[in-house]
Amino acid sequence: MEDEARRRFLGVCLGGLGAAAAGGVLWPVYRYLTPRSGDEAGRTFSMAEQDLPEGAVKFFDFAGSAAVLVRKKGGELVALSAVCSHLGCIVQWDKARMSFVCPCHGGQFSTDGVVLAGPPPRALAKLPVSVAKGVITVG
Amino acid sequence: MILLDKLYEWLDVRINAREVVARELTGYLLPRNINAWYSLGSVLLFIFALQVVSGILLLIYYVPDADKAFTSVATIMNQVPFGWLIRMCHAVGSNMMVLVLLLHMLSVLFMGSYKRPRELNWLTGFILLSLVQAISLTGYLLPWSQLSYWATTVATNSVGAIPVIGQFLVEFLRGGKQVGPHTLGRFFALHVALIPAGIAALIGVHLFLLKRTGISSPPFGRSDTSNHWTGESYHYEKHPGGIPFFPNYLLEDLRSISLYLAFFLAVVFFNPYVFFPSAAFVPANPYLTPAHIKPEWYFLANYQTLKIFPSEIIGLAVQGLAMTFLALLPFIDRGAERHPLKRPVFMTCTVLGLLLWIGLSIWGHYS
Repeated sequence: MEDEARRRFLGVCLGGLGAAAAGGVLWPVYRYLTPRSGDEAGRTFSMAEQDLPEGAVKFFDFAGSAAVLVRKKGGELVALSAVCSHLGCIVQWDKARMSFVCPCHGGQFSTDGVVLAGPPPRALAKLPVSVAKGVITVG
Repeated sequence: MILLDKLYEWLDVRINAREVVARELTGYLLPRNINAWYSLGSVLLFIFALQVVSGILLLIYYVPDADKAFTSVATIMNQVPFGWLIRMCHAVGSNMMVLVLLLHMLSVLFMGSYKRPRELNWLTGFILLSLVQAISLTGYLLPWSQLSYWATTVATNSVGAIPVIGQFLVEFLRGGKQVGPHTLGRFFALHVALIPAGIAALIGVHLFLLKRTGISSPPFGRSDTSNHWTGESYHYEKHPGGIPFFPNYLLEDLRSISLYLAFFLAVVFFNPYVFFPSAAFVPANPYLTPAHIKPEWYFLANYQTLKIFPSEIIGLAVQGLAMTFLALLPFIDRGAERHPLKRPVFMTCTVLGLLLWIGLSIWGHYS
């Protein structure tokens, strides 16, 4: 009986040591493989206000993903994620219709990002945008 | 444990797992006088596995492009979390693999285990040594440092001493007149694909031969119960009353692997740059040869031999002859006696050969 208890105790100790060793190996490997947060270049984006006339759009990298800045008729500025809410393709600007079209499955979005047609389940995500001293800043 | 038992039972009724375990593990008996030197093969398997895993991890961030290779390695070392650990394990591990492989071969030499019927085990082991040297040499270039660049220039240049086809071979190896981006592409393909596949295949052949001949008994220690091969026909060397591989010798293997890990990690954590001269930290510059460029420690004897002989071709021929002699040793040394102390000529030659190799290496290091 005493032998059995000792055996179980040693088994638990060995299991604990094994688990600690596995953790010691797996943690560095996990950290090595985890994407680095600092890698996502461009947490803010700036451009001169004069470079974006009415009816024009500007695509850019934002926090590791694609985004778009659009100046609507009347001068209002909107910044949107350019990632389609359906399956993650990048939307394209349809100048004739003044709307965004997803080339993958034909989803359509208004200049405010609202779904006009097609399969996308939600609007394009809006990004914070501000204008100061003639410079547009997103983020 | 109950779950494991059930899984084992589930497997057993389908593939007769108990029979495999009984034959290959608990019923696989090893000589009663087996010693710790026999576990070096398992240590080498462990090192190879570690090299493969750390190599795959390095591939994630390494860029095999002459313009980006050095920066990508610097990024792994300085920016990727634990990148330094993965890279150091790979770099130090490659040196350790050569060291343990040499020890494994020395133990086989001294215990006479290369003798018939195990000539092919020795031969495959010898080819494995050459492949491990080749994988180390090709890996040396990949960081694209001054050390990488010029050590590879010198190493590939020595092939040029071969008459008639020498210069063609040099250019073929380099993919051009001098070491450059094409060399990096070639060495990268050799290092990560061709040579590892060759090593894995040859390890398979080596283990297959070991299983077919049966493990040899050490020529000393406790009394031996093996039924030895006599040469008339095929005969598997059994060890009745021997030590079961599982769990007994597996624990011995694990002990040796743990001891190796302690030594290996001590180098990785406390002296990781022991194998890195200062030229390893400077990007390759094809227009500036650094002073005193030296190969890795295990090529120092070859390097010094080339320097001693006035003609490069003689230096290469001497090395080729020595390597051929070693590779064919079981076919030359055909005596049945395996005890090292009962083979005075062999012992004298081996010890002198070893001293010569060490002496040449030290001379090469300080020359």
